[in-house]
Amino acid sequence: MRRLPAVLALALVSAPLLIAPASSVVALGAAALLLCALGILGVMPALVGGMVLALGEYALALRLAGGGPRLGGAVLLGVGLVLLLETAEFGRRAHHAAIGPGVLLAQIRSWAVCGALTGAGSLAASAAASTVGASMRLPWAAAVAAAAAAVALVAVALALRVARPSSDV
Amino acid sequence: MTTRLTPLVLSVVTVGAWGLVLGVLSGRAELIVAVLPLLLGLLRIGGARSPGDWTLTRAVSAARVFEGERVTVTVTVSATRPVPLLELFEPLPPTLRLVGGHNRGLFSLTRGHSVEWRYEVECTRRGRVTLGTVHARAWGRAGLEAGEATIPVPWHLRVYPRALPLRRLPGPRRMQTFVGNYVAPSLGEGLEPGDIRAFVPGDRVRHVNWRASLRFRRLFVTQYHQERNADVVLMLDTLSEAGAPPDTTLDFSIRAAAALATAYLTRKDRVGLIEYCGPFRWVRPSSGRAHHERIFEALLRADVMFSYVTQEVALVPRRILPPQALVIAISPLLDPRFEKALVDLAARGFDLVVLSPSPIPLVKRTIRGSASADLACRLWALERRARADALRRAGMTIVDWDPAEPLEAALGGLTRSRRRAVAR
Repeated sequence: MRRLPAVLALALVSAPLLIAPASSVVALGAAALLLCALGILGVMPALVGGMVLALGEYALALRLAGGGPRLGGAVLLGVGLVLLLETAEFGRRAHHAAIGPGVLLAQIRSWAVCGALTGAGSLAASAAASTVGASMRLPWAAAVAAAAAAVALVAVALALRVARPSSDV
Repeated sequence: MTTRLTPLVLSVVTVGAWGLVLGVLSGRAELIVAVLPLLLGLLRIGGARSPGDWTLTRAVSAARVFEGERVTVTVTVSATRPVPLLELFEPLPPTLRLVGGHNRGLFSLTRGHSVEWRYEVECTRRGRVTLGTVHARAWGRAGLEAGEATIPVPWHLRVYPRALPLRRLPGPRRMQTFVGNYVAPSLGEGLEPGDIRAFVPGDRVRHVNWRASLRFRRLFVTQYHQERNADVVLMLDTLSEAGAPPDTTLDFSIRAAAALATAYLTRKDRVGLIEYCGPFRWVRPSSGRAHHERIFEALLRADVMFSYVTQEVALVPRRILPPQALVIAISPLLDPRFEKALVDLAARGFDLVVLSPSPIPLVKRTIRGSASADLACRLWALERRARADALRRAGMTIVDWDPAEPLEAALGGLTRSRRRAVAR
């Protein structure tokens, strides 16, 4: 159960190399791959570190390449991030465990549905944001984006706090 | 069932936050878009099932086994409502070792569906094993939240000590009055010819020794040795032990006691057990299959128990320690209290044999080899020899047994020397 996250991690760190095959990007990618491999073997914080480094590598590649926004690729990268986290976590759980009949099939189906839905949702959201961005030009656009990002994070944190441990017997 | 968010949520939020920060810093919208699937994935939180949705039963292939035997555990999970992903974990006590399958399982169940999960364990050490709890986690498909429950499924297994192979046994010097397998010095009904004497009225014709009668021209009859049984009392030292489980001196002592009890009971002898752990615990001498089980149950309980109480051998009733009995004391000779009890027994005229499993090789196995460890072991061996010599001077027979060697080899020399002593 470690092959699927390994393939996803490899795809994740090699995608930025297609945008800008610079040595700095390769170095960052190698470091990210190493951390991801450690994470897949069971050290979950290492996987998170590897994914953050992979995002950094992606940002660097975009910066070096320049040009217009590549939203399709970004959505694919995001779906890859989701699936990498979930498959690695499932692999950790399934390691040294008896797997019942139909578990893997159901899990793969669930990941496929999740990938499709989150991908479609992200595409729709980014398309809507592009339309809004094209129709009205806000002053201080970067500051607004930063504030929106902060608000989004706080909203997620609050939502999780509300959904946190419930106990019923 | 307690439902909680898993560490995966923290991982998702961390990656998402870093993605947003990098997006703002680099001024590229792609990073914000890449983070969107992660944040959208969090919307799936909700819906780990309660423990009422499924039931658990356990079946074990045997309830009573011997050390070293294997047992198959079958757990059946049945669902009344769909369970997306159920993780079950059954922690094993240290006396059980997993040899086949896994004691953790992941299952996906639909309505009315049941799944069987099997694993095999080896019972490494004697004792009463209780596996009482199965830990269950009902995961959501995404793994973002899990409900946890502990399900009591009581299971008891008795692991009896493995009886070591034994064919020749130390013979007792004194017999009892019941029929058994030993040739007694006294004459009477039996199979082994003893003496020849002149015929007297009342003698049976079938006992007439025709060869002697023809030679001396008068009737002679052959007398036979009686065949009698014996009382054997096994005295087990549970004051202290050395070595690492499942190979401590006590483990080997108990295996030897089990082997001796089995062998003597097979010969129709009466066997008793005295466990000396400061105070005495005992099983009265008797014979038969039920008594065999009684002794094994007592051996199952036997363990080292610290106690300040030291009872005298004189407190043991005669019916537990009959004066004619052969007493086989099994002790690593680590505690002077047991040595004092042995000296008491010898002074009272008991037919006493001390079987001493040596703790030195067992302790040597658990420590790293070094020059100082070797020296310590040699000094220890010298000290043991000196103590054994002191006991021999008190009239005891001491058998030093290296547990790596077969028990029969250790008892072999003793069997021969006792046979000579009985003949004398």
